[in-house]
Amino acid sequence: MVFSRLFFIYIFLPLCLLAYAAARGIKNKNTVLIIFSLIFYAWGEPVYVLLMVFSAFVNYIAGLCIKKYRGGKGDTIAAAGAVIFDFLMLGIFKYSGFIVENVNALFSSSIPVPDIKLPIGISFYTFQTVSYVIDCHWEKVEPQKSFKKYLLYLSLFPQLVAGPIVRYSTIEKEIDDRSIKITDVSYGLNRIALGLGKKVILANQLSIVVDNSLGNIADATVVGAWYGAVAYAMQIYFDFSGYSDIAIGLGRVFGFHFDENFRHPFICKDITEFWQRWHISLSTFFRDYLLYVPIFGKRRKYGGLFLVWLCTGIWHGASWNFILWGLYYGVFVFLEMQIGKKRMKKIPVVIRHIYSKLVIIVGFGIFYFEDLGELGKFFRTIVGADSTGLIGIQDKIALTNNIYLLIVSVICTFPIIEGIKKLTDKSFAGRTAASSAAAISSAALLLISSILLVDATTNPFLYFRF
Amino acid sequence: MSKKKRKKYSKNSGSKKNSAALNKKASGKPEPVISISASDREATDIDIPVKPKILVDKAKLRRTVINNSVALMNVVLVGGILLTGSVYTAAFKHETKADDENRYLAEFPDFSISSYINGDYTEGIANYFDDTVHGRAHIKEFIADKLMPLKGRAYGGEEEVELYGQAHEHDNEPVTAAPTTAVVTTAAPTTEPVSITETAAAVTETDAPTEPTEAPQPKLPSSDDMNAADGEVTNNILIVNKRGITLYGGGWGGELQYASYLNEYKAALPDVNVYSMPLPTSCSFYLPDKYKSLAASEKDDFDKMAAAYDGVIAVDAYSNLQEHADEPIYSRTDHHWQPLGAYYAAQAFAKAADVPFDDLSDYEEVVLPGYVGTLYNFTQSSKLLNNPEDFVYYKPKHEVTVTQYDTAFNNPVSTSLLLDPSYFGTSGYYMVFGADSRIAHVHTDCGNGRTLVIFKDSYGNALLPMLTGSFENIYLCDIRYFDRNAVDFIKEVGATDLLFSMCSYSAVGVNKNNIYNNLHK
Repeated sequence: MVFSRLFFIYIFLPLCLLAYAAARGIKNKNTVLIIFSLIFYAWGEPVYVLLMVFSAFVNYIAGLCIKKYRGGKGDTIAAAGAVIFDFLMLGIFKYSGFIVENVNALFSSSIPVPDIKLPIGISFYTFQTVSYVIDCHWEKVEPQKSFKKYLLYLSLFPQLVAGPIVRYSTIEKEIDDRSIKITDVSYGLNRIALGLGKKVILANQLSIVVDNSLGNIADATVVGAWYGAVAYAMQIYFDFSGYSDIAIGLGRVFGFHFDENFRHPFICKDITEFWQRWHISLSTFFRDYLLYVPIFGKRRKYGGLFLVWLCTGIWHGASWNFILWGLYYGVFVFLEMQIGKKRMKKIPVVIRHIYSKLVIIVGFGIFYFEDLGELGKFFRTIVGADSTGLIGIQDKIALTNNIYLLIVSVICTFPIIEGIKKLTDKSFAGRTAASSAAAISSAALLLISSILLVDATTNPFLYFRF
Repeated sequence: MSKKKRKKYSKNSGSKKNSAALNKKASGKPEPVISISASDREATDIDIPVKPKILVDKAKLRRTVINNSVALMNVVLVGGILLTGSVYTAAFKHETKADDENRYLAEFPDFSISSYINGDYTEGIANYFDDTVHGRAHIKEFIADKLMPLKGRAYGGEEEVELYGQAHEHDNEPVTAAPTTAVVTTAAPTTEPVSITETAAAVTETDAPTEPTEAPQPKLPSSDDMNAADGEVTNNILIVNKRGITLYGGGWGGELQYASYLNEYKAALPDVNVYSMPLPTSCSFYLPDKYKSLAASEKDDFDKMAAAYDGVIAVDAYSNLQEHADEPIYSRTDHHWQPLGAYYAAQAFAKAADVPFDDLSDYEEVVLPGYVGTLYNFTQSSKLLNNPEDFVYYKPKHEVTVTQYDTAFNNPVSTSLLLDPSYFGTSGYYMVFGADSRIAHVHTDCGNGRTLVIFKDSYGNALLPMLTGSFENIYLCDIRYFDRNAVDFIKEVGATDLLFSMCSYSAVGVNKNNIYNNLHK
């Protein structure tokens, strides 16, 4: 089930909220959340829900073993076993087809390509289970004794299928003890409306621009290709950060405090900063669990870096363009490391902004084209080597027809809300006015998004495929 | 309070000035709030002024109350929308059909184990609620009229140009690339023709009225019918001067394949007059010069077809239509032509076939005002929504009997030549001419012994009434919905004349493959 459909917003969510409000005591509330989370997942994956529960069970048992054999071999075996199990599962369900296809291409073999449907959200919840097991092993968290509570952590529907990748430590205490204030509920609802607005009002409309430009790269002009890539960068940002907003908002309504997953990535001044602001839960996962894996000996700083970016790419999909995309960013992060922070800062800010935006926009071009032939055409087109001209009449019409959408989208990539908050936080009256305006804005966003959804056919979140 | 304490109070609470300052602080700037814990109070010999403390707490309390009130208002507002929307989505009457989209809306799915396991059941439930929202058509009109224009501005000043879908500039030079099949050949094409592919805007499968009863029932055509011309129509539409124009992308060799298929028919039916009358779309006549580069030339492709025919008679409807381009021969809001356009095309055909042809004054003219056609559905443009047009059709005065068969030429039922649009919520092309998934036989009082079989797409439907004074028998068959061997059928009905007439998209696009498939069934 996706958040951006009327059925979720007006049938599933109200029922869940009412049941949650009616439940007395933390145990009953947790039970309500587990039931609705399993229904939520089973709605799209009636069979694979069992896989998710099985995965939860295996990792829960691993946690218990780690606790039982704390400091001993059993601890390591349980942790390693669970991690291997998790990645094996991810490998089978997500990458087996890709691996076999490439083996066949490389060795001219004819191994049958397994036709396995990708379980929704497997990349997200697998990373959560991995982080849980490793944190237990590293004694950062106490293994959960109750399977029900562990299942709640993993299956919690706000973040189950498209992140953020919530660490167990983030909500460990709130599983047992959480209070919900009226301000939490209002914040949560506003965040949901904001996320929905980002997705339905901006991302969905930008996707039309993208389909009409990058979707026809064979006939694109230079301007048309750049226009499409810029629109796609913003589309994917509003799409994914919109989902994260809804997830964080839903979490808050239920009393959970998830970490932020995006911090206005397009205001970054370099690529390193971009990844500190984009999909934070993924980059911190790799930073915490992969970057310092001692498999590259003395060169682990750069080896780890290479591994992180390779994995970042692979995580996004079983396709060469995603691997290329990850390594592409790795190259720029590596270059920035070589230049050094101090020298980077000496470069004029304008230059750094232009540089980082160009890298990001071209990067999303790589992200878009799974067909490497089309990707090559995209590269040639943006530099004018193989385009149908600099700009065509169709580009002028399309730009004019969408000019306000583009302007508003660009503005919304800036931290506008934070700016307003900063201004109004200086006085109580200002804060009150801002809160009131937020309430009215949220209501308007929810209404407009809902109206637009009446005419939307299918509009799954892009990150669902990961 | 003891004397000592009173003294201390007097001393430490300070003067009235101090107290006022505290009061001011409490009532003015809220932060930081002064608070001293009970243990601290015991440890110090400074007495704590009770009155100012109360004022501080009151202010804090007031702020908390205001904060909570705003939050509550927020929850009531947003939560109220959620709950109201919930009642609206679940309890209000669900729509069952979308006249503007010419389709039935999703139905609540039937449960089965298999449908549950493959996810169809749960997805079907969600689809049902999403698709059948009460007042759907009005909400969509609101979106088109009020929300979509906020995305940007129309281009080109008074021409108010909007582009929907992909487009690129064509050089409109003749395509010199070799076709995928020989220009004139009776051999089977190297690539196996495929069945119809539709890229319909509609997502819900609907049932086409394949078996009309004697009195036509108000059944809606399927979404397939909507996309009579192939999927490209939905993708590339330019709106200019309040007219929707589908941008023709070019044949790219498809026009030569089309010609080769028709040549096969002629070879198999040497005694039958085989005609080809490909039909241009409005893009040939109404695209302003400065946007002409966005479309390929239909005329060029028609000429290439004509050059490739072997025994097939080329009928030039293009020139006749061009002569009358200043008349309303094409719909502004629909991807079809208007019946008047069909009249002029039929006129060209009658001349080529050397058959009598009725004057327009011999028909009864019917005007359906307020028509907004398929292009609005495809684009959701307010330029079309807010500028409806007249749909004008013509009723022949001849005595005709019309029998309708299924696509395998079975199950005959009597029907009328034209449907009565008063049956339907909206009126227009399909409402008058009905569905494509049928074979219609019209017997006229013409009495010239000529029997015509028409293989067509939805454009061709409008030709039927215009030829009732020209042929004694007319069989109208859709190339996409025909489940017989075409040659056997033509021989079986004793056809003297065979006409292929469809719009350029069908002739050069994927639909043309059905012409080949029908020959080899």
